[in-house]
Amino acid sequence: MTVRDLIPVLVLVGLAALLPLVVTASPVLNFLVFMLIVALGAQGWNILGGFGGQFSFGHAAFFGTGAYATAILQLRWGVNAWAGLAAAVAAGGAVGWAIGFLSFRSGLRGSYFALVTLAFAEVFRILANAAPLTGGAAGLLIGLDVRPANLQFADRAVFYWLVLGFVAAVLVLTRWIQRSRFGAQLVAVRENEDAAKALGVDSLRVKLRAIALSGAVTALAGGLYAQYFLYIDANIAYGGWISVELLLAPIIGGVGTVFGPVVGALTLHGLGEVAKQFAGRIPGIDLIVFGTVLVLAVAFARGGILGLLERLRDRGVGMLPPSAKSRTAKEVPNAGR
Amino acid sequence: MRRPVQGFPHLGLTRRSVLKAGAAVAAVAPLAAPSILRAQTAAVKIGILQPVTGALAHDGDLGRLGAEMAINEINAAGGIKALGGAKLEMLFGDARSTPEAGTQEVERMQADGACAIVGGFASPICLAASQAAARYDLPYLVDVGVSDQIMARGLKNTFRFGPGFGKVTTVALDNLTRMNELAGKPAKTVVLVHEDGLFGSGLAKLLQTELPKRGFEVLETIAHPTPARDMSNVALRIRSLNPDLVIPSNYYGEFVLLARTMQQQRIKPKGVYAVLGGAASNGRFVKEFPQAAQNVIDCNHWHDPRNPQALALRKAVQEQGKSFAYNVSLNYSNVKLLADAIERAGSTDRAKIIEALNASTFAGHIMPYGPTKFVNGQNEGATPINTQIQGDDIKVIFPEAYAEAKANFPAV
Repeated sequence: MTVRDLIPVLVLVGLAALLPLVVTASPVLNFLVFMLIVALGAQGWNILGGFGGQFSFGHAAFFGTGAYATAILQLRWGVNAWAGLAAAVAAGGAVGWAIGFLSFRSGLRGSYFALVTLAFAEVFRILANAAPLTGGAAGLLIGLDVRPANLQFADRAVFYWLVLGFVAAVLVLTRWIQRSRFGAQLVAVRENEDAAKALGVDSLRVKLRAIALSGAVTALAGGLYAQYFLYIDANIAYGGWISVELLLAPIIGGVGTVFGPVVGALTLHGLGEVAKQFAGRIPGIDLIVFGTVLVLAVAFARGGILGLLERLRDRGVGMLPPSAKSRTAKEVPNAGR
Repeated sequence: MRRPVQGFPHLGLTRRSVLKAGAAVAAVAPLAAPSILRAQTAAVKIGILQPVTGALAHDGDLGRLGAEMAINEINAAGGIKALGGAKLEMLFGDARSTPEAGTQEVERMQADGACAIVGGFASPICLAASQAAARYDLPYLVDVGVSDQIMARGLKNTFRFGPGFGKVTTVALDNLTRMNELAGKPAKTVVLVHEDGLFGSGLAKLLQTELPKRGFEVLETIAHPTPARDMSNVALRIRSLNPDLVIPSNYYGEFVLLARTMQQQRIKPKGVYAVLGGAASNGRFVKEFPQAAQNVIDCNHWHDPRNPQALALRKAVQEQGKSFAYNVSLNYSNVKLLADAIERAGSTDRAKIIEALNASTFAGHIMPYGPTKFVNGQNEGATPINTQIQGDDIKVIFPEAYAEAKANFPAV
């Protein structure tokens, strides 16, 4: 990975970081923070689902683990929130590895793997709903104590920058995966696991690394959610809604691309939010937009929005030198899917 | 990016425009003596937060209706007199049945200049939304959310006019025991059916420990998820246990399903005693399934049946072709309570409204609570009462002071 690879990430994140200086309205910042948290979790999903081709329907298992780890460590054992967040990442990675070990070792692939992840998330939800440690059905409430040392900030912009920083870090990480040997192996497993194995790729190991990484990133999003909204219960942390959010964003944005999850989250939620402003106060208008974008993206933008842009560019710039074209194809391994 | 988009001012707000506006206000304020302020009578904006889409949409609609009716009534009666007859303006926010959406709407209301917020409905939404409002010292009146956590946080901006969970269960148990005694103790055995969320599980746990102390034997506790699509197994289990009493605590859909399944399978315990029952005091249930609803007793939020204002409200709601439930009366009362506080504060200043709420002894509401008295934000007089579905009506049966009809207990 060279510095040149990172230029698009740096430019976009830099622009996004300037946003709070221009837009000071809290509703916008609040919305952006939520959207970035979803984007971060979706980036986690994308590592496993996009690059590794292992579609998970149960990323709530990681999101919830992160959220509960952050909250429980603070509330039950008085651990500092920052340390709690770090522990959440570790816990997410561990849970990811464990679920991966159990399911990949049994050779579960495709829809079977998807169903197993769904089941894991549901089991976690039921356990969290019953166990006293997680506050049972009453959930956990993190006390309002606005101090930076406590990972609570008076200014929404600070939290925005923090989440943006994490999103940027994961963008870099994804870019690295794309360029690295590990990434190539992961894509090989996605495209044809048997062929990859025949070429000497240890597919179990590659998939385990991917799911642990994926779990860790999604757990980070969960921890940030808990720290931002300060209240979680089983249906929020391990609920089906978050699993769906996390897989929709990359699918809409572009599965297996670096920017796909962020673009997808921004499009889905952003358009809904804008529609809410324009359409007066018709309740549910944002949900209608959400659904419409989803249908349009699935029907017309194979490979997500980034895939569509890619195809448009290829069509429009047919006169590009062949080297430039092949480079683009390599950058977006999934564009044709 | 810097150009504000026409039509949605807070989205396009730039730092510069805020500064300019601030400077303009600062420049004009000393000149705009009280006389000018009074002459303008700008509308008083209050935020109404309800989940009108998603799983709780039915409840959210009822809550909005109650708030709307109170606002219209206050405006028709001349608005806030202390502010020169300023009209109340509703800033409505759809909480979409999730805490994040609730928080987002609070942010929007704050940006749009709300001086207080009423609503939330479900406890998780109330928890998140009141906390978001606390950042701006924005007064927040919880309409229904019964979780004790809401008031345990010591947030200065958060008030709850209705009773909390602890209070509801104590009263429910006291009334049940007393009603049973008055009827000659026909009920001895109980089956608890509860949803497995915050409210159902918490309640079941409490009842499991408290009921035996009051001479009831709990035969079994049956949990089910929300939403549940089938209650056949639950009903069959109840049939085989044959308890005197069934105590369900669940939301609207599941309660209706349970009652209908029990009716189909001809399971007739001596009483169905719901605590904060999802449907047991909802007009829609009575209208749609009158037979299944017969004689169901509920211990829940309910208006004072002797209050003419309450009866007029109920009639007005029914004339609109809508079903009446406690959400209407609670939101109606909360808006009235808030208007009274603004009236006494004589200002839309948030700190003054909070002060006025703390000192509130408001009796113009329609709940059986007496004049309000807030201690750490909780209205001390708040209490649930018992209703029973009799014929095509929901009647108050207990306590005697408010009773419209005699309890039909035991029902068989």
